[in-house]
Amino acid sequence: MDAVLIIQSLISGIMMGMVYALLGVGFSLTWGVMHVIHISHAAFGLIGAYLSYSLLQYCGVDPVVSAAVSVPLLFITACGLYQLLIRPITRAQNIVMASMILTFGLAIILENIMALIWKADPRVLTPTYSSGALIAGPFYFQYPHLVGFGLSVLGITAIYLFLKKTYTGMAVRAAWQQPEAAQLYGVNLYRISMITFALAVSTAGAGGISLALLNSFEPHSHNLWLIYLFLVVIVGGVGNVIGTALAGLIIGVITGLSMAFLPFQWVNLVTFGLLMIFLIFRPHGLIKQEGM
Amino acid sequence: MNKAYPVALAILVIFLAAFPCIGPEVYYLSFMFSVFMYVILASSWNFIGGYGGYLSFGHAAFFGIGAFATAKLATMFQLPPMLTMLASIPAGGIAALIALIVGYPCLKIRGPYFSVVTLCFAFVVDLAVKNIEFLGGAEGLWLKFMDIPEKTSRTIMYEVMLLLMVVTLAVSWFLGRSRFGTGLTAIRSDEEVAETMAIPTAKLKIQAFVLSAFFPGVAGGLFAYYLGYIHADAVFSINISILIVLMAMFGGGGTWLGPIIGAVILTVVNEGLSTFAQAEIARIIYGALFIVVTIFMPNGIMDFFRKKGGKT
Repeated sequence: MDAVLIIQSLISGIMMGMVYALLGVGFSLTWGVMHVIHISHAAFGLIGAYLSYSLLQYCGVDPVVSAAVSVPLLFITACGLYQLLIRPITRAQNIVMASMILTFGLAIILENIMALIWKADPRVLTPTYSSGALIAGPFYFQYPHLVGFGLSVLGITAIYLFLKKTYTGMAVRAAWQQPEAAQLYGVNLYRISMITFALAVSTAGAGGISLALLNSFEPHSHNLWLIYLFLVVIVGGVGNVIGTALAGLIIGVITGLSMAFLPFQWVNLVTFGLLMIFLIFRPHGLIKQEGM
Repeated sequence: MNKAYPVALAILVIFLAAFPCIGPEVYYLSFMFSVFMYVILASSWNFIGGYGGYLSFGHAAFFGIGAFATAKLATMFQLPPMLTMLASIPAGGIAALIALIVGYPCLKIRGPYFSVVTLCFAFVVDLAVKNIEFLGGAEGLWLKFMDIPEKTSRTIMYEVMLLLMVVTLAVSWFLGRSRFGTGLTAIRSDEEVAETMAIPTAKLKIQAFVLSAFFPGVAGGLFAYYLGYIHADAVFSINISILIVLMAMFGGGGTWLGPIIGAVILTVVNEGLSTFAQAEIARIIYGALFIVVTIFMPNGIMDFFRKKGGKT
């Protein structure tokens, strides 16, 4: 086996893994803070991808610039959705289950709206620099992949700093660790939940754009994305930002290596098989949960 | 619960069994066949998911294993059509055996983590079947049809599926009021407390899991025979797994009636919508149904009506 080829596929695996990590961070936060398993999370990512596709196609706006438009747009939409849909079900006996059924319905609706607007054929983001590539010695990096990777690293860092440094971020962490105690200290749990949810959805949008720079997408791609989200979040530990990023890297390394050594159709099989074994031995993620 | 229920149900079953005699179109027989199938899937999922509170998101794996095992047994031993149908019973046994092997390590994991492990398991089985030549690989497997008119063969399939449904529901009903079922409910409420009360949680969970894999296995075998041709996409689809969970929870998990209601409503609505509306619009309405039901009945349809009944 060619060493250059192995390293090349390892690097593209890691890039992919980081993008899944950005998609996963928000999913992990909603699950950890609100106990809501947000099945339509990846569908919102797909909406981000389609928005930037349309902006690029009809207005010539670069995907990175359109992220600056669609992320705030998704934030506002998600605030509304929280008030309308998520808040009423916090009364359920089993929030996890109720939220899964509800957001599964939401995912079906979003998928079919996207199919109505953009049709069901696969799309690719082709920014002006899409044919270019950075050549470093024997290695070869396509510019869109680099941009997508950069965007996801930026996104994860932003979320991490938000949670660590800002007052609101600290309130989110407090609500995750000890909801009752946080409330006693004057944290408005509903407001924090709404912010968490909206933040999660908008990072999903950014993640969707990054993923669209690496891969083609169609209205039902969110199902496969969702599986990877689950994997990244579980391996990283629910509610853990650094863990999620690390899990993205690990899953990237696994897919990268199996892509180099195995025929294509066995890659997913190996990934899921290894993760199943991982889950059996370390069901609560890589890192022991202590703060975030 | 009073004694009128079993009597009413017995009458309903006799009515359903006699239904083909009035000479309905083949379409209705096929439709009822799929309703029965989903009732079986949702009710048997309920053994571990509803009573035990272990939400398996990989139950389509057992359905698919049953389907492929039946097809493989039929082609390997050159079984005649009628025996093929019987071969679905050992196929269900194979599904149960795999559930035993997989369940042993997986059932130690709790909550959403268990759901994700089972989801991974369903994926692994799906991808493995697609890549193994022995099981038909990417092409799938063919089964021999019966040499009788379509209507007669459909009627036979209808009656057999009905029989399996009755057996599954009987097991589900007895489970609900047995020590076994009570133990499972205790596990759902609080596993630690159940353990301190000397309930053999590990044993109960594995038994419930194996039982809940057996019936989908048999149903899968019948379904394979019904289609005449099976491909991994048709039986292992992740959508089937999710649909099974949704049907049971939609109606109300942990009760024997809930999954039946959920399965019947969702199958009928899905079929009705796809005949009357454009595909995308139909799916949007279908999705909205989940949202409306969860907001107004967050604990399932059964719970909603039980509370209503209690108040008046």
